[in-house]
Amino acid sequence: MSVRAIPIVALLLGWLGSADAAESYWERIQIHGFASQALVYTSDNRWFGDSPDTSFDFTEIGLNASLRLHPRLLFSGQALFRRAGEMSDGDIALDYGLADISLHSSAEGRLGVRLGRIKNPLGLYNETRDVPFTHPGIFLPQVVYFDRVRNLVLSMDGAMLYSELYRPFGNLSLTLGAGKPVLDKNVEWAYLNGDFPGKMKPDGNSWLASLWYTTASERLKLGLSGATLSIEFDPDRRAPLTLDAGGLEFVYWIASAQYNTEQWTLTAEYAREPIQWRGFGYPIPDRDATGEGYYLQGTYRLRPDLELMLRYEEGYADVDDRDGRGLERETGGLLPANAGFSKILTAGLRWDINAHWMLRAEYAYNNGTFILSTRENPPPDDRARYWHLLSVQAAFRF
Amino acid sequence: MLIPQALVGQELIANKDLADKVLSRNEARLFFTLRLQRWGDDQTVKVFVLPDDHPVHREFSKTVLGLFPYQLRRVWDRQLFSGTGQAPIIVSSEQEMLQRVASTPNAIGYVEGVPGDSRVRVLEVR
Repeated sequence: MSVRAIPIVALLLGWLGSADAAESYWERIQIHGFASQALVYTSDNRWFGDSPDTSFDFTEIGLNASLRLHPRLLFSGQALFRRAGEMSDGDIALDYGLADISLHSSAEGRLGVRLGRIKNPLGLYNETRDVPFTHPGIFLPQVVYFDRVRNLVLSMDGAMLYSELYRPFGNLSLTLGAGKPVLDKNVEWAYLNGDFPGKMKPDGNSWLASLWYTTASERLKLGLSGATLSIEFDPDRRAPLTLDAGGLEFVYWIASAQYNTEQWTLTAEYAREPIQWRGFGYPIPDRDATGEGYYLQGTYRLRPDLELMLRYEEGYADVDDRDGRGLERETGGLLPANAGFSKILTAGLRWDINAHWMLRAEYAYNNGTFILSTRENPPPDDRARYWHLLSVQAAFRF
Repeated sequence: MLIPQALVGQELIANKDLADKVLSRNEARLFFTLRLQRWGDDQTVKVFVLPDDHPVHREFSKTVLGLFPYQLRRVWDRQLFSGTGQAPIIVSSEQEMLQRVASTPNAIGYVEGVPGDSRVRVLEVR
């Protein structure tokens, strides 16, 4: 901390009132982390590395720290190392880094503000999508939580206002946010089908809203969450051949429902994503499309430490082109029709060996290649429409 | 009607620092999911729990809080790994639980049966 910042912090603490003096800062710091390694095999197509030859290129390591400086003030941050085939080559990124200021907290509800880099509360899983322990399979349902372009709605640098209301009939929570989305190269690959000289960057602010209802016992959970996003392409003018300074407009929203019993959890989510392409010039004409994805998933706990999962999902690049023939035509055959849809049946097993270790195995039967990354399967490579995925994962947490 | 479970049931215990009061089940849930940490105007509650697979933890979650242990774990993990909250402190045994709650200001936890330690009080949940 710079010397100049100290009076500001002192002022802030003055406003917040005095903290419990008996407890040292060290006692208020928590450090946690996780690490996972997967082995991925596919019968065809590349997924998280060179999977037809068995890939080990799916590694995630996270380390986080949080400090409750005061009952009203929490600082937290997480560094994430992620290797995901060609989609992420093992860089370390700031996953989140935020200050959470509580304005009100009681048995009736709470109200607060988060500032900094914040994970977007979209759907049931986005906030902790890289923590294997917090989601139901090795891979999240890809038609809703795309890994080929995960950074689109992963997090934002900005501010969020959160409010919760606790009532005997259940809890209501509403989060509103605005900020700059944290983008990466996969956005260009996913929506422009290539890597053109130049850079994708946010065009103005992203807006986010997330509304949830849960019964008091959390048996039933219903949610509606969404974000808007504008991205502009800043072409490298020195390059002999690139695109015009075009832009992409997205809306991405998810409706979520989950029901929990002691043995069962039933989950369904529906996502829709209207997209506009504008002003890129040849070879990407102006057009509109509406992406769609939905899944139904059941998990069954045989024992507290052993869980079975079964999921069916469908996703489409454009609801007006469900068989993908329009996509094949528009790309001049560079992308086959099967890149326009994915229908996937997944079965998985999770074993929590102890409080620190978890093992997983998963099989998925795929019809279609919508979920694949163009970066990993660059056109005009052949894509197999029907393919199998087999994966095992070991994960550790502390 | 007799409620035999109350005799050997799981009791929510608190450090003597925290004023005695009756908690609603919803309030108890808010404290143990770490959504609510303030007690009265100026005290910050410190939450101690047993491991997820401990029988007393399972019974306390289900019968006192009305939540399955995996649901508690899910809420804690979401807060912990999105930076929006902290995790409860895990102790390894009921003896350690009693010891830590007795010696930590503003601590809450749970044990099976009424503890015979004057530094902790039992709070009624209904």
